[in-house]
Amino acid sequence: MKRITVAAEKCNGCLSCTHACMAAHSASGTIMGALAEGVQARIHVEAVNGRPVPLLCCHCEEPACVDACMTGAMQKDPVSGIVANEGNEQACVGCWMCIMACPYGVIVPKAGEPRIALKCDGCKDRPVPACVEGCPNFALVWEEVDACAAGKRQSAAKELVA
Amino acid sequence: MEHVIIGSSAAGVAAAETIRRLAPADNITMISAEAGPVYSRCLLPNLLAGSRSVDGLLFRSKDFYRKNRITPILGVRADGVDSGAKNIFLQDGRKIPYDKLLIATGASTAMPPVPGLDGPGVFGLRSLADAQGILARIPAVRRAVVVGAGLVGLETAYALYRRGLEVTVVEKMSQVLPNQFDPVAAFIILREMQAEGIRFVLGRGIKEIAGPTMWQRLFGKSGMGVVLEDGERLKAELVVVATGTRCNVDLAQGSGIQVNRGIKVNAYMATSIADIFAAGDVAETVDLVTGQEGLSPIWPNAINQGKIAGFNMAGVMRKYSPLIGQQNAVEFRALPAIAVGLTNPKGEQYEVLINHCPVRNHYKKLVLDKDKLVGMVLVGDISKAGLYAGLIKKRANVQPVKDCLLDQGFSYAHFLRHSA
Repeated sequence: MKRITVAAEKCNGCLSCTHACMAAHSASGTIMGALAEGVQARIHVEAVNGRPVPLLCCHCEEPACVDACMTGAMQKDPVSGIVANEGNEQACVGCWMCIMACPYGVIVPKAGEPRIALKCDGCKDRPVPACVEGCPNFALVWEEVDACAAGKRQSAAKELVA
Repeated sequence: MEHVIIGSSAAGVAAAETIRRLAPADNITMISAEAGPVYSRCLLPNLLAGSRSVDGLLFRSKDFYRKNRITPILGVRADGVDSGAKNIFLQDGRKIPYDKLLIATGASTAMPPVPGLDGPGVFGLRSLADAQGILARIPAVRRAVVVGAGLVGLETAYALYRRGLEVTVVEKMSQVLPNQFDPVAAFIILREMQAEGIRFVLGRGIKEIAGPTMWQRLFGKSGMGVVLEDGERLKAELVVVATGTRCNVDLAQGSGIQVNRGIKVNAYMATSIADIFAAGDVAETVDLVTGQEGLSPIWPNAINQGKIAGFNMAGVMRKYSPLIGQQNAVEFRALPAIAVGLTNPKGEQYEVLINHCPVRNHYKKLVLDKDKLVGMVLVGDISKAGLYAGLIKKRANVQPVKDCLLDQGFSYAHFLRHSA
């Protein structure tokens, strides 16, 4: 299963990922258009001690937001593993229970109407998520989770024997 | 294996789905006193307001039972349990055998001990039938009185107001949301709702619901008088009681199942009798924050408990993760507010951090017990609510981040390893 993994040490805080996300979820499809429309980004770059850290939904195995959702709108797709409150049979009502449940704080209220919760939707209509495509520093990687874990194990092992 | 689940709301559905996933060959029967497809009672105020249709209340698709190969017995109440012979008895006389039983019967409106609450214009708001009864009455209603300013009371008041009724909320305590929010946040919310046009009577309870006087009946008026503790009389054609709920434990009477206010369960959602489990509003668990046994009648906890009960019923032993009884999210008039845990602490040991910007109606309150976060109130900007709630649930040591806990920019990134 592919996931967006974060190599935060490569992030320079350029916010290209947030702009790409906005553009991908806008009517116009462009960054300027998205800014004019007031589209919100679903990936967040936080600042810690002056250093940028990208934070986004991990599409958890046991999503707290799915348990909290009292309309049934928030679901984890059994095939892709993507957790989303849009595009399902039931409609989100903007009760904010998912926002109260997400321990990573990556769900936000959508500004304006309709009143719904906004979160990363895994860019299910795109071959590669917009934020990954937009990052010029390779801080966001679209890869198999096992491959990412294997890579980290290898580099940790190399450091040990170096 | 025969699994029988009594109750087809959050806990029952979560348990059924879990069992079906873990044990594809087992049989599952679900019994519900309500006929019709599974719906979310949290959305009933939206039905009252007119923003959702009945179909818009369904939190699973209409073919939920068929899709999960569950045998539904709908519109029939379960009356009793014979734990020796492992049968449950239905209202219509049928006997249903079980190998594993889950009691997820939830709770019902608790009517306060006040005369006149059995009249025709008085409703609770717990079931679809309640909501439909209220809707049927609305054409003849100009004034409504909602008794109780808890979550259900305020949601109901707001919904009825959006229907065009004049609404008065009567609350015994001196603030709205007395169990959930602290006085400052409660006052912010009260002011918003008053500005909207909803009337509040605080600090006074009700004494009696009186029918129309003989004089009024002579003139063809059918309204009621809601008589307050101090004798003041409010006129209303509709009264909705939202002063609390009572667990539906009747069917456990005489079965030997240990019952306190709810059905007592251990960490595996098991009751005092083997092979009988309980989950949801009807179950009594241990609250993470207070450390005491109690009810946690909120939707996410019911789903969580139902899932855990399902695991254990399917033979996979699993404890429930720590539950916080007080977790509430509201939004009135574009002002969102979330309260988790101990929001109104009494005692010297608590440290309270506050950030209040009255001009923007932004309020942030964090309650610490030594190194641990035990309570949180957010009004206005709720986007990090889950982060704080997560810290409460994990009983995390927040000392390392205490100086930036209240900051606008505080986020999960502060906890990631490389950020240290």
